[in-house]
Amino acid sequence: MSTADPTLQRISTGVPGLDQILDGGLFGGAVYIVRGSPGAGKTILANQVCFHHVGHGGRALFVTLLAESHARMLQHMAGMSFYNAEAIPGSLYYVSAFRTLEDEGLKGLMDLLRREIRSHRASLLVLDGLLAVEETSASDREFRKFIHELQAHAALADCTVLLLTNGSRSEYHPEHTMVDGLITLDDVAYGKRRQRELEIKKFRGSASLRGRHPFRIGTAGIVLFPRVEAFLPSATARAPAARVSTGVPDLDAMMAGGPLRATSTLLLGASGAGKTTLGTSFLSCCSAEEPGLHFGFFETPERLVANAAAIGVELQQSIDAGHLHIVWRPPTEQILDDLGNALLDAVRRHGVKRLFIDSLGGFISAADARDRLPAFFAALTDELRVLGVTTLLAVETPNLVSPEVHMPIAGVSALAENMVLLRFAEYGARLYRLISVLKVRGGGFDPRLREFEISAAGVKLQAGFKGAEDMLFGYGRPAPEAPQDDRSATARHDVLPPERG
Amino acid sequence: MHTVLVVDDEFGVAEVLEAILQDEGYRVVTAINGRQGLDRARETPPDLILLDLMMPIMGGAAMLEALRADAALAHVPVVVMSSLDEAAVRDSCSGYRAFLRKPFRMAEVLRLLPLLMPPDTLAVGHEPPPG
Repeated sequence: MSTADPTLQRISTGVPGLDQILDGGLFGGAVYIVRGSPGAGKTILANQVCFHHVGHGGRALFVTLLAESHARMLQHMAGMSFYNAEAIPGSLYYVSAFRTLEDEGLKGLMDLLRREIRSHRASLLVLDGLLAVEETSASDREFRKFIHELQAHAALADCTVLLLTNGSRSEYHPEHTMVDGLITLDDVAYGKRRQRELEIKKFRGSASLRGRHPFRIGTAGIVLFPRVEAFLPSATARAPAARVSTGVPDLDAMMAGGPLRATSTLLLGASGAGKTTLGTSFLSCCSAEEPGLHFGFFETPERLVANAAAIGVELQQSIDAGHLHIVWRPPTEQILDDLGNALLDAVRRHGVKRLFIDSLGGFISAADARDRLPAFFAALTDELRVLGVTTLLAVETPNLVSPEVHMPIAGVSALAENMVLLRFAEYGARLYRLISVLKVRGGGFDPRLREFEISAAGVKLQAGFKGAEDMLFGYGRPAPEAPQDDRSATARHDVLPPERG
Repeated sequence: MHTVLVVDDEFGVAEVLEAILQDEGYRVVTAINGRQGLDRARETPPDLILLDLMMPIMGGAAMLEALRADAALAHVPVVVMSSLDEAAVRDSCSGYRAFLRKPFRMAEVLRLLPLLMPPDTLAVGHEPPPG
């Protein structure tokens, strides 16, 4: 994606996710405004960049124009993992210029900045409190002149400058047109919860990932989660050829040998219909060649392993061997892009080839805006294809027994190559679990409705229903003429043998 | 009356120290960087200096070095005030008598100051005892 002049030097920010959003980092000798309301995270961001910069051989100067105690600020920073007391004052130096600005105005401040950049040989300057400069300026013209001089000096001294500000005296922001970049930090309400978001509103010299990217502030400082749908796929996915076993031979047979490698399969069904059972069966085929990942929201890893063992699916050995990894994210106050990035990170880190996501609902409940979800899943599944991952994605449908299938969000079914429907149906005063294949990319499939049993011996598919109809509608009834239960009636084409891990 | 020179660039620190120390009977002179601090010390030799470390123009370490090289001021006890820990302060400067980790409580300053004033200057501003 890089569009920048390769001769321009980049300064890594060290803020997880930010360099990716900036297509490689800030530019050396450039001036950036970081704008956000009090508490938005500007000071933490700037300190994090400073400590990273000096940790990689740079020298930084942090100048405050606020009546804020450095001691208090550093006390708060000391709790962050990026803080390194040994860097201060040798390579990272904090000074207050509040009184210089008060006593000597903009000229005095500019002299101080020039002198301090030179004496500390700073390659990074943070000026915290740009609003104070604006308020001290007699006119917009004087303020613009200050910014212009600072830019000229930063370029000559090859010193990157971050100007931190709460806002502006007016809606007119002359400084925004002058600087090389504008980064905003916001705290946005979504219903009763709030989400911190960063946006690159301007970035001279290079492309950047557009739009608002969520972030968290924790002991590691700021961690950004680049918006998943803003990514471009890292490469082009190759057309899949081989098939992959679902771990249930009867289901493989229904799916023309199993789903094609590096495709996605939706497992649609109500709660208790057997989606997790099928997903864990799929993961039981993990191996050193085909590492697996369970990315779930509802069951803790311990419960997942125990529940799988209860139906004869052994996961613990695969976990112990390092072939199966479990990421559990409880579905409370999650950030959609954190989940997407965590999923892709785990896939890349472990070289995952078999992925079970349980379930789509965990992502949906984390979404700040539901209209994002089709694009989000399109980007996610594209990248999973590029990474050669075969994915099973559980999708919970709302009604236990219903003649209709409601997709929780529109547009998702088009993203998956394969769809399997799991349903409950009542027939003869008994509830049945049913399975049917709705779609298989790259081959025909068995269109019959099959009974699906879960027992201590695992998953077993029975033959179709003789003498019943309307089972798919949820309420079966005897058929006028019973259909043949004949396996030879399957609509198979180009069936490839399933691969087992 | 003892004279205390407070050298700190941070708004509020010198002002608060000045007000409280004056209430306690000290004479207080302030400066906002090491260069100004040296000038003030030469104008009005203090009995003790409260010195910040990180300041513009001239930092606390450089001011300490200049004080120790100045025969008229070399003996003046200096208390370094810093948000860094003492090990970091020791690495960056020497020749100070005591250390106060910021943010500190005023009671710590008031306890420390009488301990560091030279005995002969304790009598400054007071009438000699009747012989």
